Amino acid sequence: MNFTFNDDQLLFRDSVRDLLSNEVTAERIRQRWDSDSGVDSAALQSLVDLGLTAALVPEEQGGLGLNTVDFILIAEECGRAALPEPIVDSCLVATPMLVDADRALEGSDSRLGELLQAIASGDQTVLCGPSINPYINFAHSADYLLLPHGNEVHLVAIDAVQLELQTSVDLSRRLSKVSWQPRSETCIARGEMGADLWRSTLNRGALANAAQLLGLSEAMVARSVQFATDREQFGRPIGVNQAVKHLLADCAVKAEFAKPAIYRAAYTVAVAPTRADWSVSHAKASAGDAARAASRNCTQVHGAMGYTWECDLHIWMKRAWTLDREWGDAGFHKNRIHEWLLQPNALLGPQYTFGRRHLGDAVNPTIAV
Amino acid sequence: MKLRFSASDEAFRVEVANWLRDNLCGEFESIRFRGGPGDEHSFVEERKAWERKLGEAGWTCIGWPQAWGGRAASIEQQVVFNEEYARAGGPGRIGHIGETLMGPTLIAYGSEAQKVKYLPAIRSGDAIWCQGYSEPSAGSDLANVKTKAVFDEQAQVWHITGQKVWTSLAHESQYCFVVARTDPQAKGHKGLGFFMLDMDQPGVTIRPIEQLTGTSEFNEVFFDSAVCSADDIVGKPGEGWQVAMALLGFERGVSTLGQQMLFQNEFNDIVQLAKRNGADRDPMLRQRIAEAHIGLRLMRYNTLRVLSGSDQGELQAEGMIYKLYWSSWHRNLGKLAMDVMGADSEILEAEPYALNRLQSMFLFTRADTIYGGTNQIQRNLIAERALGMPREPRGNNE
Ligand SMILES: Cc1cc2nc3c(=O)[nH]c(=O)nc-3n(C[C@H](O)[C@H](O)[C@H](O)COP(=O)(O)OP(=O)(O)OC[C@H]3O[C@@H](n4cnc5c(N)ncnc54)[C@H](O)[C@@H]3O)c2cc1C
Repeated sequence: MNFTFNDDQLLFRDSVRDLLSNEVTAERIRQRWDSDSGVDSAALQSLVDLGLTAALVPEEQGGLGLNTVDFILIAEECGRAALPEPIVDSCLVATPMLVDADRALEGSDSRLGELLQAIASGDQTVLCGPSINPYINFAHSADYLLLPHGNEVHLVAIDAVQLELQTSVDLSRRLSKVSWQPRSETCIARGEMGADLWRSTLNRGALANAAQLLGLSEAMVARSVQFATDREQFGRPIGVNQAVKHLLADCAVKAEFAKPAIYRAAYTVAVAPTRADWSVSHAKASAGDAARAASRNCTQVHGAMGYTWECDLHIWMKRAWTLDREWGDAGFHKNRIHEWLLQPNALLGPQYTFGRRHLGDAVNPTIAV
Repeated sequence: MKLRFSASDEAFRVEVANWLRDNLCGEFESIRFRGGPGDEHSFVEERKAWERKLGEAGWTCIGWPQAWGGRAASIEQQVVFNEEYARAGGPGRIGHIGETLMGPTLIAYGSEAQKVKYLPAIRSGDAIWCQGYSEPSAGSDLANVKTKAVFDEQAQVWHITGQKVWTSLAHESQYCFVVARTDPQAKGHKGLGFFMLDMDQPGVTIRPIEQLTGTSEFNEVFFDSAVCSADDIVGKPGEGWQVAMALLGFERGVSTLGQQMLFQNEFNDIVQLAKRNGADRDPMLRQRIAEAHIGLRLMRYNTLRVLSGSDQGELQAEGMIYKLYWSSWHRNLGKLAMDVMGADSEILEAEPYALNRLQSMFLFTRADTIYGGTNQIQRNLIAERALGMPREPRGNNE
């Protein structure tokens, strides 16, 4: 039993954090709002150079062969920076879906392997549009979309779909409603295999958002701590007041306790993504709770300043608002938890806190993975 | 205790309802249900015309004494008026700062000449007022006002110099009431004056501040030797703090009735939406809708209960409790609205940044817990003034 990350994982996280804090400033995020594509290609290229797009691609296909646990801290950093580009959606969600499909097909569909190579090198991007999300973020910037038709998984080139752009409250997001026609040649999986792929993908997507929500929460708290130290009222920093301290301390506690849920879910997704429903929902619910509290309390700490467009806080606040809902809102995830818990044969004893013993047990879906 | 309206109150209700039916239509149809919380920036000209329309028919300032053009309406009548006004979709009252804050303050503390000069235009709906309290360094610490007022003996005028901030609707207002320091040596609550300033003069510069809604309702206001006549100070130099605080007392009084009616309309919109989009089948949302209803009714009952015991339409200790309650309740309502909207809650109506009414309401509720005394300051007031707990040291500027 070991909850810690190894040196490589931490080093990877640190280099991504450094890069993001230099290249993805609030000022440059605002510049994206005025651009058509919403993408800062220089920043994006730096992330490709650091190996983000290659991370979860297998080594055979030119990738780094890393897994969800290796990438979870990176997703957190992308949240902390409020990174607009859909790096986490493509690298932590769509790419593994393709990898899983390629494995299940044992490499029989050469398109997948080739695409994975192009993803690793940063030449092509794939995003996915599960039925739970009515819109796809940055669909216009992708080369391919993974789309559902019942249980089927379709790999559809971007020029074969129609995109209807929507404006989000978070101007960093570029949402599209996607219309398309399923064809037999775009279908890469169906039946059980398709259902499993979508199930894993829902878990990866929710986990990806949970990690970003955690990063967003910590970033909002950090800014607010700074603000409460600099802003003076009654001749001293407002942070002197217990009421202000407690607002931020409450957020810190929620964020801190969302961490183990997220890391545990990352582990489960890495080893058994189709059976990570419960732990992923736990992570998403906890991270969402932390992010909602941070949005509320950090605005409060900023006073009227926090209600202005000029103050950067709303960049984070609005992102948290949207990511909290995407890939299943709090209600969806709490439902998954109680439906699992209240089953007659749910395994609830302390010995099931970590369900490794039961990992191979495919018959009983209620095990505590 | 008698929890029903009298026959004459019901007759008054019919009168109000009929008038609104016959007048809130035609050119005013477009502003029905508009201009409420988070929507203050919209239809400003139409809403100014509406103020004058109300004024002509005697439906502004109905609680004021008859001597100043009011109807001396009882609390019950004011309740009835606000209920009917909201039911008819009466737009957010752009004249409310004059009607509910400046007017009552003048009636209580102004000189006869000041009343004659200012009250009629508020009553007729012609004069729009704004509130010049906050400054960059005077937010929660309101007494830390740095704006200076210097008296010119020769010209018999005050010169006002300094900066106000977050001034709602300053760009639409003819007048601003300004708290400024008359005694440069004094600190804190002492040495302040309360001035009524004409905004239409060279010494006043107004710069809008963009809000996170992408719209601008509040402003920075710069005074560079702005002129204010010697007759336009309420109370004496040095009494500004007392007047400023008395004015805030009116803010928590009968003016809250209209606000609750707007809340009721918002709540109804949310329930309607839930029924339309199926959110009403979600058990968690159903519970939150019930909670919101309970809170809304509690606010109404409590306001009526407290107002029943007061002649002036002012709330005393209970009034302090009210701000914290409604702002927190409204913030939860904003979140509920977004959760009922579901996935579309993040989608704007149009480019570049057109929020729909529930979205702007949601964002605006994040300011409710800040303006007019933050939740933290309200809790301190409740604990220290209402409960009499030991006072927390406030810092140097006490
Ligand atoms: C939408 C909007 C409209 C407004 N309209 C007007 C207007 O028309 N006219 C006008 O004059 N002003 C207006 N204001 C300003 C408003 O009154 C101030 O924002 C408010 O008084 C808080 O001051 P501040 O924003 O400077 O926050 P600060 O006082 O800097 O407070 C920041 C944080 O510190 C906390 N804090 C500060 N001191 C203490 C303490 N002693 N104990 C515990 N916590 C503390 C606060 O609770 C808050 O969380 C408006 C504000 C908003 C948001």
